[in-house]
Amino acid sequence: MQYIRRRLLKAIGGGAALMLAASAGILRTGHAFAAIWNKTGFDAKVPSDALKSLGADGAQPSKDITLTAPDIAENGAQVPVTVVSKVPNTQSISIIVDKNPFPLNSTFDFANGADSYVSTKIKMGQTSNVVAMVKADGKFFTATKEVKVTIGGCGG
Amino acid sequence: MAEPMKIRAKMEGDTADVKVLMSHPMETGQRKNDKGDLVPVHFIQIVTATHNGKTVLDAQWSQAIARNPFLGFRVKGAKAGDKITVSWTDTTGDKGSIDTTVAAA
Amino acid sequence: MAAIAAFALLATPLLALSADARRQRDVPLEVDKPASIRPWYRYKVDSQGSTWPQTDWKGFNSIALGNASPPVEGAPKTQLPIQGDAERGRNLAYDRARGGSCVVCHVMGKTTPAQPGNVGPDLSTVGAKRTDEWLFNYVYDPRIYNAGSIMPPWGAYKVFSLDEIRDIVAFLKTLREPYAIADKSENPNTRPPPVESRDNLDPTENPAMFALDRGKDVFKRNGSRGKSCASCHATPDTSFKTWAAHMPRFESRLNRVVGVEEFITRHARPTTGDEMPMQSDDNVALSIYLHNVADGAAIDPDVTSAGAKRAAANGRELMKRKIGQLNMACVDCHSNHANKWVRGQYLVQFKGTIAHFPTWRTSRGDIWDIRKRFQWCNVSVRANELPPDAREYGDLEMVLAVINKGEKINAPGIRH
Repeated sequence: MQYIRRRLLKAIGGGAALMLAASAGILRTGHAFAAIWNKTGFDAKVPSDALKSLGADGAQPSKDITLTAPDIAENGAQVPVTVVSKVPNTQSISIIVDKNPFPLNSTFDFANGADSYVSTKIKMGQTSNVVAMVKADGKFFTATKEVKVTIGGCGG
Repeated sequence: MAEPMKIRAKMEGDTADVKVLMSHPMETGQRKNDKGDLVPVHFIQIVTATHNGKTVLDAQWSQAIARNPFLGFRVKGAKAGDKITVSWTDTTGDKGSIDTTVAAA
Repeated sequence: MAAIAAFALLATPLLALSADARRQRDVPLEVDKPASIRPWYRYKVDSQGSTWPQTDWKGFNSIALGNASPPVEGAPKTQLPIQGDAERGRNLAYDRARGGSCVVCHVMGKTTPAQPGNVGPDLSTVGAKRTDEWLFNYVYDPRIYNAGSIMPPWGAYKVFSLDEIRDIVAFLKTLREPYAIADKSENPNTRPPPVESRDNLDPTENPAMFALDRGKDVFKRNGSRGKSCASCHATPDTSFKTWAAHMPRFESRLNRVVGVEEFITRHARPTTGDEMPMQSDDNVALSIYLHNVADGAAIDPDVTSAGAKRAAANGRELMKRKIGQLNMACVDCHSNHANKWVRGQYLVQFKGTIAHFPTWRTSRGDIWDIRKRFQWCNVSVRANELPPDAREYGDLEMVLAVINKGEKINAPGIRH
């Protein structure tokens, strides 16, 4: 295993870090990845492709999802986003930022008693819709909020 | 070479509320440094949280999670004294981990 | 007789010092070298990729250089009526890279982009009200008509060329109808001021709390002389419970004001042997620690000495000095036009602005001490910044401490 890891790391070099991630499944150092990193989704340049990679064609808006984010974020470096899903049997929550160069931001899978709740801080390149996408019982639901990113007055 | 992390887990009703701050540059690969060179991609991709040894959260992150990333999650049915662990792996294969005990309300 | 007179001369200053001042004189301080890197050079980029403009603005006043800016003269003659490209002018008026520019302070009719400011009047009907010549002259140098204007002399200070000003005037001439911004959060006159509600001392919220840990470690770490701060200061949590709240202070051995960060540099050198220049990671970490130990203490600088009084008075004057290619003084934004919007950012007044330093800056991914804040403000109005230990920055920090007397230290802070 260590031998394979070293060969791979040598072959990869600087620009292929994402490839490293995609083959993450075989890089075991005694600690298995439970999740395989969704390279296709994270490489998608438009929201529809990101949703497709999650299998989320035909996602329906749902009032059972609460997406909390500032109306106007103080900057795009770290925007707090909290998602609570009251959709029964929620399996995962994904965050999508429509106008980011790579719209799929993150995916959170729940198990063993975790609440369908997540809070994090995201980067936003500009004012954009932020979408919380919930997978529950194999079906997909969304909540959307426009988050404005402050345009600064004096260069910072 | 784990970067520092901060964690706090506290009971709220019948749920443990957990907050974690990880020290990590979360480089997008688009940033230029002082010398004008592009700083290579370097970000946390996988985050796993366990409760008393059982996985409760598996997260996949992109480079668009903020620098020094924050994570908040909740575990229903947890009790004060339960063990919470949060671990991450980044694009270089580096890892970080922290555990804590859930505090009473 | 002469001996007694000489003794009296020597003794009088010592006797005239307060107990505090005498204690202060006993504190070892290195006073010969600079406390920050020399030659001083401007930051290029912060940890998150936010850049600092690299232009040398030596043709304009800095806080230290009082007479470099061009004098006020009339506007050059231009052909009337103004011939210009209104669309180019509109792009210039909205171009953040050129100085904002106009929309930083003015609402400008129905094409106004997101988050306009309201430091200046609404210009939506200015094209119907002013002559071409007036508009040209005003944009070239507002001081021709309004000596106290805080608007930059866009032409006289060469931010825009004469052709560009003509384009801007052509655009202004199209502004002939009032424009009401319906969205209350877009309208700078109705948008509520931002409220800082984060718990800055929550270690899962504020990355600067990692630096607090580092500061505690540095305090206990031996320097090159084999001693640590803790070697002499065994109980910092009690000894320094209000120390940072009485800073900055006038240091007679340097004949100027010294803040916490400079004190750390100069006190470490002859004691632990650590070399911790201002704005180095160790210095910032220690500054956070010493401020955090005094968390909740009321700011109360010592202004009893003649030197401290002089420094505060000079600081007040410096706050009124017009600097930079944008020709602005501290008071322009933070006193005379406080509580208004510059583009999407709110202008705060002086009171309430220093108790949270050093602060984490979410937009920069770094911790800023108060001197870096001054440096950035200078660069933002296109004036050359000074090294962090500049005498003028000490005067400014002193007058800010005086204005903020009574405010409670709450550091490290967290802000945009």
